[in-house]
Amino acid sequence: MTDQPILEIDKLSISFFTRLREIPAVMDFSATVMPGEALGLVGESGCGKSTVALGVMQDLGVNGRIVGGSIKFKGEDLCEMSPERLRDIRGSEIAMIYQEPMASLNPAMKIGKQLMEVPMIHEGVSEKEAYARALEVVTDVKLPDPERMLKSYPHQLSGGQQQRIVIAMALMSKPSLLILDEPTTALDVTVEAAVVELVKDLGKKYGTSMLFISHNLGLVLETCDRICVMYSGEAVERGSIADVFDEMQHPYTQALFRSIPLPGADKNARPLVAIPGNFPLPHERPDGCNFGPRCDYFEAGRCDAGFIPMEPVPGNDRHQSRCLKFQEIDWNAPIQVSDTKEKPEPGPVVLKMDNLKKYYEVAANALFGGGDKKVVKANETLSFEARESETLAIVGESGCGKSTFAKVLMGLETATDGAILLDNQSIGSTAIEDRDTKTVADIQMVFQNPFDTLNPSMTVGRQIMRALEIFGVGANDAERRARMLELLDLVKLPRAFADRMPRQLSGGQKQRVGIARAFAGDARIVVADEPVSALDVSVQAAVTDLLMEIQREHKTTLLFISHDLSIVRYLSDRVMVMYLGHVVELGSTDQVFSPPYHPYTEALLSAVPIADTSVKKKHIVLEGDIPSAMNPPSGCPFQTRCGWKSKVAGGLCEKEVPPVRMLAEGHQIKCHLSDAELAEMEPVIQIAAE
Amino acid sequence: MEPLTWTGAVGAFLNPVLGIAVTLLVVALIAQLVLGLFASPTTLQANPDGTLAASGGILGKIETAMKYLFLAVIALILVYLIAPLVLPYGMVGIIGEMSQRFLPVWIALIVTFTISIIYKRRLGLYGKLFDSTVGMIGFGLVMFWVFTALFVSVFDLIATHDYLTQVSGLKNKAPGVAVPDGTAGDIPHYLLGGDNLARDIFSRMVSGSTFVIAIAPLATIFAFMVGITLGLPAGYYGGLLDTILSFVANLILAFPVILLFYLLVTPEIVQTGIPSYMAAFLFVFPLIFFGVLLNSRYYTQPQKRTAILVPVLGILGWLYLSVINQKGTVIDFLPAWFDLFDITILVVFVSVVFVNAPTVFRIVRGLTLDLRTRDYVAAAQTRGEGAWYIMLWEILPNARGPLIVDFCLRIGYTTILLGTLGFFGLGLSSESPDWGSTINEGRKLLLIFAHPALPPAVALLSLVLGLNLLADGLREESLKD
Repeated sequence: MTDQPILEIDKLSISFFTRLREIPAVMDFSATVMPGEALGLVGESGCGKSTVALGVMQDLGVNGRIVGGSIKFKGEDLCEMSPERLRDIRGSEIAMIYQEPMASLNPAMKIGKQLMEVPMIHEGVSEKEAYARALEVVTDVKLPDPERMLKSYPHQLSGGQQQRIVIAMALMSKPSLLILDEPTTALDVTVEAAVVELVKDLGKKYGTSMLFISHNLGLVLETCDRICVMYSGEAVERGSIADVFDEMQHPYTQALFRSIPLPGADKNARPLVAIPGNFPLPHERPDGCNFGPRCDYFEAGRCDAGFIPMEPVPGNDRHQSRCLKFQEIDWNAPIQVSDTKEKPEPGPVVLKMDNLKKYYEVAANALFGGGDKKVVKANETLSFEARESETLAIVGESGCGKSTFAKVLMGLETATDGAILLDNQSIGSTAIEDRDTKTVADIQMVFQNPFDTLNPSMTVGRQIMRALEIFGVGANDAERRARMLELLDLVKLPRAFADRMPRQLSGGQKQRVGIARAFAGDARIVVADEPVSALDVSVQAAVTDLLMEIQREHKTTLLFISHDLSIVRYLSDRVMVMYLGHVVELGSTDQVFSPPYHPYTEALLSAVPIADTSVKKKHIVLEGDIPSAMNPPSGCPFQTRCGWKSKVAGGLCEKEVPPVRMLAEGHQIKCHLSDAELAEMEPVIQIAAE
Repeated sequence: MEPLTWTGAVGAFLNPVLGIAVTLLVVALIAQLVLGLFASPTTLQANPDGTLAASGGILGKIETAMKYLFLAVIALILVYLIAPLVLPYGMVGIIGEMSQRFLPVWIALIVTFTISIIYKRRLGLYGKLFDSTVGMIGFGLVMFWVFTALFVSVFDLIATHDYLTQVSGLKNKAPGVAVPDGTAGDIPHYLLGGDNLARDIFSRMVSGSTFVIAIAPLATIFAFMVGITLGLPAGYYGGLLDTILSFVANLILAFPVILLFYLLVTPEIVQTGIPSYMAAFLFVFPLIFFGVLLNSRYYTQPQKRTAILVPVLGILGWLYLSVINQKGTVIDFLPAWFDLFDITILVVFVSVVFVNAPTVFRIVRGLTLDLRTRDYVAAAQTRGEGAWYIMLWEILPNARGPLIVDFCLRIGYTTILLGTLGFFGLGLSSESPDWGSTINEGRKLLLIFAHPALPPAVALLSLVLGLNLLADGLREESLKD
């Protein structure tokens, strides 16, 4: 390999210009990518990581401009290139993969045509040769039946397949630099694992350098050689993965690691530490260190005095930190445990599901309603109990039926069969209009998307007060207003927020209002549908802790729907794993997270990226996509992707749905594997001895 | 009295100056277009205060020159408009005198703009309008006609003569013609000449604005009430209700509008009472709308609800009965003392609402289909809110952006529709000064005398243009948020 770096960014500053002011998006950013190297760019939303990528592509739009520094690609300055030369380089030498695969493909063009365009435009090769190359690349990204793939339109493929096609397109011209901007955020965990695996292998095979942008530290650990942590427009720390993960030298990096649930974190004994305060707006950055106001080690008069340069960390290879005090801080000091909380004892059973089924009938011919009706089995024989002040996590990928279950529980849909018992009263077949106010107020929901959960044209206070009105709390407006202010206190929001509009709040604050609204009628059961997955890491910890705290106080039963196993492991008491409408495994958190597993649980666990270098993971990559619920496989729902299928004799998996088996007290599993085989399973996650 | 010329004595030396300025501006514009094909593009440069400015090369120079020329042209035009206020009558000719007549309008516009711009940060979407040049121009044009209509109808200003009085000898006379001594009127000239019945065209034009400004927004509001009240449930529930309502909407939209109008105003059809029944049906929607709106909001507090609902529905009900009750039609049952007013142009009203409502229905239905999947709607459902509360308080306020824009555009369509109705003489008396009728009158002798048809046409054009620009500005600013 040559010593010349592929990409060399030197003291880059990028600003966006508006009618009112200049907004600096990236300041004094330097990075080097050597051939064959993968650099991870990590930071929270708004920290400028995508702007760096766009800067490299010279695609900043009319308002954005590079105001300082240089970007050299193979020694050539990209900022001084003519538009013709840039067009030449983009797509052939530098390729970019975006977050949303559907948005990167032209929906009106066949896949093959779109792929063939790349070498035909950049290298002028013949159509035949381009086709051969397209076929080769599509085979490389491990898509089944490549020839049929080339003939299909983007909408005929699943999200995972589309992203593979986008990767294939980026690789068509064998680029020397590949920029990946959150390439797997829109995908399911198991699909994400497969795509990440693919990117890693292809990077090695083609010798491509990579700039990998992500907010997920675990993902960066798995894919990259070097890492650069960004905060509020600046790189705060960079170095090799091992150096940064094990010997972090910047308070922000440390705070970031302490706010994500790693194995070993526990909601009672070792809670997460949220970063205090909020991300500064680009035009309201403080003097000196941007992280200063939120930093534990802040020293007035020194940290806010002026510009802070990147300083190399002695002893490590190319490891630098933007902190004045990094040599004074004792990085190995243990976290100060604020106060250990008592683990609350689960109370009596409040909610009981008994063989709950929800089927949808879909007419084959939508226009005239005739023809055969298809039945979609969204939920198949769901049975479980939830106790007072217990957290039950419901885990599964999209399409597994967890949202349908939530709808039936809330009363937005009625169950096809079976019963939901709330305090031994059946509510499964009662639609929400027919439920009494008490029942409705008892079961409430916290929604996933913070930007969607509040009505944008009503003040925060008004929305909470409306919930109080509906639940019949308070005799008049004055009483309700007092109660609303109490609720704001409960979720730790300033009382002044009552008169704000939702657009004036940040994502985390909106989610808090959503929680306050759910607790307006003293809800006893709260269904939290991925309440933190759309929030930034540092905010996630704070919102999670808030939920836990309210739960402890109010003895609430929390049904926590999520696909993020790290957070599930951290906060739940019991876990239920769902796949295509079936409960495949149910048990206490310890039981589910240690062998024996259901094969699907095993794959899920292995797919979750963990940001800890001391963790050894077994590698299981699932083939293919989740089957459609319209057309489920025969027998066991998981048999199409299961790695253990060959261990069961006589093709039983394809013939029969496995029965529910009790493995231990309270641990049930739906699998044909024999006890002996289950006992042989190894743990997926092992923490190396320190 | 001497007839007035267009620009009077002042024009003698102002006209050449303006001519030169306009010529230079046109030359610069052409130069810029031609050079733009060859010269290097302007580069963007950052000012010290952080804003961006385009500069560089010959193009930059032309741009600067154009800016100053444009300002000069504007300044000269302002002189034409301001000079007559200080100079004696007739010095700046017809243009000057018209500007003088519109003086109350100018003052009202200046006051409106000054107040709005000062407080624009506190005025929500309306205030943001003043960040967009296009929006401001549109708003200015619309408010010009609104103020004109107001001053003509309420304060009897602006119009120079009675719009019905015919003065012998002024038939089809050119603009600026002097009226014979002893004719009643504020000034001794017909500013824009006389029409084929020797009436003052200027006065007819400004009086005609009242008709459009009064009817168009009102009819559009009614169309919106009908469209919203039907569109929300169609989009929210979907299914059979949606299929039926959409089908009916398509049926109405597919029917030729003009034919529909002809049918509605035909005396035989009026005799059968169809327009009256349609009015009774269409105008009941505002009652339903407000009734449901308030009930769904306050049903948890029955006392408060009754206190609000009774007066609102009482007043609306009274207005409703007064509107539909017409002497001499099939619906005539109210005692005269209870009937507030008779609307002579009820048929026009009915037809405009009838043809506009289906389009509004489709827009509202589409927006509802999108908004009903939001989490805050689900949150409302999970706390057991009624369907109408969700539709009217959770969905409708968030659909307001596109609806406000469409409202402005639709007033424009309605204005044209009213013009068309007037043009065909449907439902209006033949001497009505509305713009459609006047254009139709003027059309007959258009090849010989063009001046009677042009002023109402220009008026109609400027109002509709203003509404469209206003809608554009609102759309642009509402997206920025």
